This record gives sequence, structure tokens and C-alpha cells, in this order.
Amino acid sequence: MDNLCELQEVFHEVFDDDTIVLKGATTAAEVGGWDSLTHINLIVAIEKRFKIKFATAEIARLKNDDQNVGTLLGLISLKLAR
Amino acid sequence: MPESLERLDRGPRLPVSVNHTGVLQKELHLALEEHLAAVDSGHKKVRQLVLALTRSIEAQLYDNAIGTLQRAVVSSLDYTSAQSLYRIYRQLEPHWAKPAAKTRIAVLSNQTVVQFSQFVELFLFSAGISGLCYTPDFGVLQQEIFDPGSGLHDFSPNVLFLASTWRDLVHLPQAADDKQKVGELVEAELSYWRLLWQTAHQRFGCQIIQNNFDSPPWRHFGNFETRHVGSMGRFIGCVNEAFANGAPPHVIVHDTNYLCNAAGLWNWGDQRFFHHAKLPCAPEFLVDYAHSAASLAAAQLGMAKKCLVLDLDNTLWGGVIGDEGIGQIRLGAGNAEGEAYVAFQRYLKGLKTRGVILAVCSKNEDHVAREVFEKHPEMVLRTDDISCFVANWTDKASNLRNIAKQLNLGLDSMVFLDDNPAERSIVRQLLPQVCVPELPEDVTGYIRALERHRFFQVVAVNTEDLRRTEMYRANIERENAGSSADSLDAFLQSLDMRAVIGPVNSTTVERTAQLIARSNQFNLTTRRYSNGDVQAMAKDPNWITCTVTLFDRFGSNGLISVLLAKVQEDVLLIDTWLMSCRVLKRGVEDFLLANLVKTARSRGLRVIHGEFIPTTKNDLVRQHYDRLGFSLISEDFDGHTGWELAVESWTGRKCFIQEIEANGQSV
Repeated sequence: MDNLCELQEVFHEVFDDDTIVLKGATTAAEVGGWDSLTHINLIVAIEKRFKIKFATAEIARLKNDDQNVGTLLGLISLKLAR
Repeated sequence: MPESLERLDRGPRLPVSVNHTGVLQKELHLALEEHLAAVDSGHKKVRQLVLALTRSIEAQLYDNAIGTLQRAVVSSLDYTSAQSLYRIYRQLEPHWAKPAAKTRIAVLSNQTVVQFSQFVELFLFSAGISGLCYTPDFGVLQQEIFDPGSGLHDFSPNVLFLASTWRDLVHLPQAADDKQKVGELVEAELSYWRLLWQTAHQRFGCQIIQNNFDSPPWRHFGNFETRHVGSMGRFIGCVNEAFANGAPPHVIVHDTNYLCNAAGLWNWGDQRFFHHAKLPCAPEFLVDYAHSAASLAAAQLGMAKKCLVLDLDNTLWGGVIGDEGIGQIRLGAGNAEGEAYVAFQRYLKGLKTRGVILAVCSKNEDHVAREVFEKHPEMVLRTDDISCFVANWTDKASNLRNIAKQLNLGLDSMVFLDDNPAERSIVRQLLPQVCVPELPEDVTGYIRALERHRFFQVVAVNTEDLRRTEMYRANIERENAGSSADSLDAFLQSLDMRAVIGPVNSTTVERTAQLIARSNQFNLTTRRYSNGDVQAMAKDPNWITCTVTLFDRFGSNGLISVLLAKVQEDVLLIDTWLMSCRVLKRGVEDFLLANLVKTARSRGLRVIHGEFIPTTKNDLVRQHYDRLGFSLISEDFDGHTGWELAVESWTGRKCFIQEIEANGQSV
């Protein structure tokens, strides 16, 4: 399973919505219920699934307007490669 | 909808047929079994369970879904799964035939406890308690208590949880402070929290659960931290000790310090989530933290388990005694597995010593199974540690029912431990009231597998807890004596019963509160009062409180009956009357009533009123007042009855209990 598919599964679980289809351009605003509380839930679930750790600054940045699923995937790949 | 977020089309929903109901029930059971088998080992199978639950909700199979969810919620859930199950709980909550009494829990903290409170609610639901949480914004712990206009005052909690962390310590020492100064600071810290407890207790009369303090993972003095008087680490240790020694009965100290140690200090104190979201600990540990807190609230309500029923082969020793024989089973020194079984038995013996009742339920020949307890040199548990020993070839569900009956315990106060997954599964299906924890294949994991459920949580330990097995065993002896006595009277006479009777006082209040929390069967009204409530009644001249401690020729039965009554003009209203089922049919009721009538006469009261409020468990006492000579004066459609006894018309009944003073002298 590639990272996008795995990430999509994480989203299904965190947002209880099996119909979500992620694309690189998907932003936080487009996923219903992605608020600051569910952001923590998402971070925890992603860290567990990919066995990675985000830095404090990254956790905050991932919620910014200029971020999307593409930048999140980029960060995950970077951490997995290390 | 934006183009980048497409939705998968899952097709139209199919209508549910009767046939489909059976399929869904089976699916729920299987998903639950797989989830429970996987959850402790960290291989989660929650997604399947969530889907099965969602389908059941769509099909309106609410009761099945609720029962499944209650058992799926365990302390070893990961954070994400616990969130998913919480959302399912929210969907099911309106359909839940919940207990009428809601437990109103306020969680006050200076950190973010939104997720924590949700998990507390979820675990209370799992324990069958209808919890309502109040969680004000963080950072207002003190204000909520002191400000009479706060949301907390409107909410009026019956449990107040003060979810403090080390960051809430107020009187921190300086590195250069000497021993005396630090001692004063510890006192000041205790006084600071005491004022919060007192204020809350006076205003809400509620039970308080107070965290002790976790520790930050770092140490300014390194290894010397525990020895330097002015260090943070040493100070936290001292404050925790002061809490343990100085908390009044209406305050339960929640041992957060244990939780952070068990988690590992650096894991627990993951600073990223504190700085990002002000979480009190790393998100993963919020689940276990909430379970721990909820287990205290449940224990306070008398929902803790009382009895642990043990399988034998591959549970207490390695191997099958019937096949391998007493010389071949793995138990004791010389073999790692055998040593691990001894260690597990020692753990069980420790539970027994502090008041957990042990029973045996095994598929074996009785004499073969008993021989191990009597003759094997390495056995830690012996026959007299086991209150009820059942080894035969009957199915385990029937045997468990039988054990519950013999011990006079409800099935819902029993935990069944068996290494065999098939036995566990069938008991779960046939006796959903019994808790059946998963066990790992390796015996060294048994203790943890049992501990993580916090089944036997207590909020106080008294001498009766420490002597419980002895008392239950003496009971079985008494019953044997009963069968050989010519008549009931002769039997009761032969018991040589003596009792201390009197109002609740400082030595009896703790046990009284415990009985009020725990008694379900011989309990006329099942009203629950906290330790604080009982103390208040004991001081109130309008209340008459009464407890009975019973002795007989087999020894002490302990404090076994409680009566609370309110004086209203010339009427005495019996609010609460309960008794331990250990002493059924001994005439304690007659003895207690005789004493009550005496008190009523001395206070010039004219009538005594009694009431019976039916529950699923107290059918035993439906005719209690009738038997005592009261007349029925009211009856509701739901079986709630009212009774009356004219004080003057009461004539004594035969009673075989002699009243004695607390010092053992005859009255």
C-alpha cells in the first residue's frame, strides 16, 4: 500500500468517514471536522500508523492555510526516508 | 463539494430482514472476540468492530450494539480507537436503557481535559454507569470552586474530579531551602488543596477525587534529586505522602504518580502535546488515565468486582493435571515457566489477602484437582484460600452460576480467568454479566492482563476486607451446621449469636459507606450515600442511624446491617435498610426492628414507615416489611410499596441474638 492509501485509511478512521478520497491538493478546510481538536487526533494516528514523530513546530504548521495533503505526504516520506 | 475531495459511492442501504438480524448478531460477536484478542497485543482490529456496530445501529439493533460496545471498551485501547468508540457511544447513548441515577462528574483542570472527560464517560458507560461530565474551560480549577456563580455551582456535581498535574503545585521549594522550610511548604501545599476540598464538600456535599502529582521526567539534581531537600522530585514525593496521610474520607486520592511511572516518565510527559494543546499527558496515555479515574468512581458506587473465579490447568500451573499427573505439571523452581506460575499464584494470594474472594471452576475430576492444592509442595494457593471449589465436567457457564449462588454474589460481581479462548468466548456469550478478560499465551503476562482492568478497585480497606475469605468459608460451615440442626430455632440457638448495635460512629462510618455502596440484594431502597453523606446524617438529630455488627460461635461476621431513618414529626421514615447476604435468615431484621421500636418509643414517635423500591436485584426483600408485621399502605404500578407499623402495637418476636456492648460485655 502506498503512503497516500495508508494516509487515506487514517483519515477514514479519524473522521469516521469511509467515503473520503484524498488527493495531493486536498486541504484541511475541505475535510469536514478537521479542527484543532481533530488535528491532534490526526497527528497521533499518523504517528502511530507510520511510526514517525512530528516536531512541535511541524504539528502547528500542518494546520496552516498553505498546507495540503501533498505537503503532509512530503513530510511523511521525508521522515520515513531518514 | 471541491473537486479534490471526491466521495466513494457505497451504494444504497439494504433493508434489514429477521434473517439479517441473526447475521449481524454473529458479526458483532465475532468482531468483539477478534478485537479483544488483538487489543492487548497492540494489533488493533477496531475498524471491523466499528463497522459492525455502525451496521447494527442502522438496523436498530441497539441492545446488541450497546452490550458489545460496553465490553469492547478496555483500558488498553489506543487513543484513536477510543475516539472512534466514543463516537459510537454518542450514537447509542439515546437508546441506552440506562440506570435512572446519573453520576454527575465535574472534571476540573488547568489543562485540556476534553478528550479525557469523553473517555471517562465512555468507561463509566462500559461499567454500566450513566455518567454526565461537566468540563469547563481549562485554567479555572480554583475559580470554579470558589465562585458561587460558576458553571460548577449550576451543574451541582456528585463527583468532583480535580485533575491536577505537577504544574499545579503552588508552594514550590527553592534549591537552597532547608529541611524545615521545605516541611512548611509541604504543609502549605496540603492546606491549599484542603481548602479547595473543604469548600467543594461544603457547597456540593459531593465525593471528591483528587489526583496526586505526577513527576516531570527531568531532574535538576540528577541522581541526587531524591536526597536534596530543596529539589522538585523530593518535594513532589513529600506532597504525595502528605495527601495519602492527610486526605479526609470524602476525598479519594487518585494515584496519577503510579500512572506516569507505569507509562514511563518520558513517554507520559511528551512535551509536544503540552505545548501544542495543553494536554496533561501524551494522548496515548489519556485512555488509561481515564480508565483509572473512572474505576474509582465505579468503586465508590459499589460497582467493583468482588470475586475472581480461576480455571486450573494452564492457568494456575503449566500442563493438564488429569493427563500429566502431580509430578509432571509445571509449577515451582527449576523451570522458568513453573516459577512464573508460582509468581502468578503469589499475586492471586495477595489479592485474596486484601479481600478479593477466590473461587475455582475447572473441568477436572474433583479429587484430582484438590490433590494439587493439598499435596503439591510448590502450590502457593491452598484449599482454604478458595471460597468455593468446583471441579467437574459440567459446562463452565452453569458452574459459574452455581458458584455465584453458593457465595450469594451477583454474576456481575464476578471475573472469570481461563487460558482457553473457547471457554472465554462461550462464557462471554452465555453469561454477559461476567467479566472475562483475555489472557496472553505466556503466563508471565497474566498479572498485567488482569491488572489493567482494575476490576477490584477499592477506595478504602478495612479489617473486614482483610478477613473476607475466612468469613465466606465460615458461612459454608454454618450452612452445613444448619442442615444437621433439628429445627431452624435450634440451629439459630446453637449459633450463639451476639451483636453490637448502635448509631454510626467514627469507627463504623467507613464500613457503613462501603455497605451502602455495595449491597444490592438485601437492600430495600438501593439509595447510595457517600461517606460524607453518612457522616452528615450521623450528626443530624433528625436522622436515626443504626448499624449491626454480628458475632457467633464461628467468629465475627463484621458490620453486616445498616438502617438510616428520618424523623418527621411523630413519624419515623426508614430511608435505607440493607444487610449483607452473608447473614440471611438469622433474625437480624427482627433484632434491628426491636431496637428501632425501642428508640422510636423513647423519642415519642407514633409510627414507623418503610418502603420497598424494586430493582433487578432486590426481589429477596419484596415481602420484608410484611414478614416483620408492617401493613401495606401504598403500591405503585412499578412495584414501589409503602408500609406502616404502629409503634404501640408492636410486640416482640422471638430472636436469638443477644445484644452486647462494643467491648464484648452483655447489655
